Amino acid sequence: MKILIVDDFSTMRRIIKNLLRDLGFQNTTEADDGTTALPMLQGGSFDLLITDWNMPGMQGIDLLKHVRADQKLSSLPVLMVTAEQKREQIVEAAQAGVNGYIVKPFTAQTLKEKLDKIFQRIEGG
Amino acid sequence: MLEDKKFISNESIARARDLLATMERGDETGAKDVIDDLTHIRESVLYLEMGKLTRELHDSITAFGMDEQISKLAAMEIPNARQRLRHVIEMTDQAANRTLTAVEESLPICNGLESRSSTLQGDWQRFKQRKLDLNEFRALATRLDEFFQENTSDATRLRESLNNVLMAQDFQDLTSQIIKKVITLVEEVESNLVGLIKLTSGKAPDPASIKADTKDDKELAGPVVPGVNQKGTVSGQDEVDALLSSLGF
Repeated sequence: MKILIVDDFSTMRRIIKNLLRDLGFQNTTEADDGTTALPMLQGGSFDLLITDWNMPGMQGIDLLKHVRADQKLSSLPVLMVTAEQKREQIVEAAQAGVNGYIVKPFTAQTLKEKLDKIFQRIEGG
Repeated sequence: MLEDKKFISNESIARARDLLATMERGDETGAKDVIDDLTHIRESVLYLEMGKLTRELHDSITAFGMDEQISKLAAMEIPNARQRLRHVIEMTDQAANRTLTAVEESLPICNGLESRSSTLQGDWQRFKQRKLDLNEFRALATRLDEFFQENTSDATRLRESLNNVLMAQDFQDLTSQIIKKVITLVEEVESNLVGLIKLTSGKAPDPASIKADTKDDKELAGPVVPGVNQKGTVSGQDEVDALLSSLGF
């Protein structure tokens, strides 16, 4: 299981990385915005993308749209972890094809639940 | 407005009568002269009023001390506040990283403790069941010695990490003091702006009459601050989940 963590704040990337390690996911890579993340996704065989929304350069929502529009990446599970909690934004992310939406601040338990849900769907589908 | 010197006065009424009389007489030149006189009276009233207004404006600007205060705010205080807030970001960033480093150093220690304990527990069970021969028992005794030593040094390292976490929290006191100073500055800017608006429009701005959320729609709302920007937002993960499930997620 290879996971890409995209957030412009290194502390948030470290938190997510440590939580993932605790859940048994050792193979994680980091990027600080969509512009750097997209070529990494296209070049590497990632199994999951965890991304923030508000970042300089390419924002998370645009990264999601690029992923969904890319033939090779279109079915990649995407989990959004963001401080954005406007209803219209959550709806926009859902319409863009996000697989999970976590609002900051969040707990380790929430992250686990959303990951479980995503993996259930992959196994089920 | 024209209170100090009214246009309608004994003088202007007399000139008006003269105007009627000259016109009735058919005295063209006389009538024009009287109109000139009346215009003169009217203009002098206006000039007086304008002079008064100019003086009032000058007085209130001086009394308000606006020039000096606002230039000081713009030239010194606001750049200082920017620098202070950047320092807050740096301090909170450092504190978060120090804490994360301490946690990242502690987690492997916990993992080590856990795995050594469970290995020893297995051996100990076999010992209690008298399944160990002498050599195995000697090996267990050696491993127990190592276990005690390692536990002691691990406890020391854990305590160091926890102390680092503790000390990393010292930012809160300092950042609070800095942020409070910036809040005071924002209040000062606010009262100056309100004063300026009063001076130019004659009344204080009314928050109720100002359209909220005139910002660019493309700008992201960011974290919700209670009482500031809660409109149209969800109040936590449960509501996010409810909203998504209502959309068929």
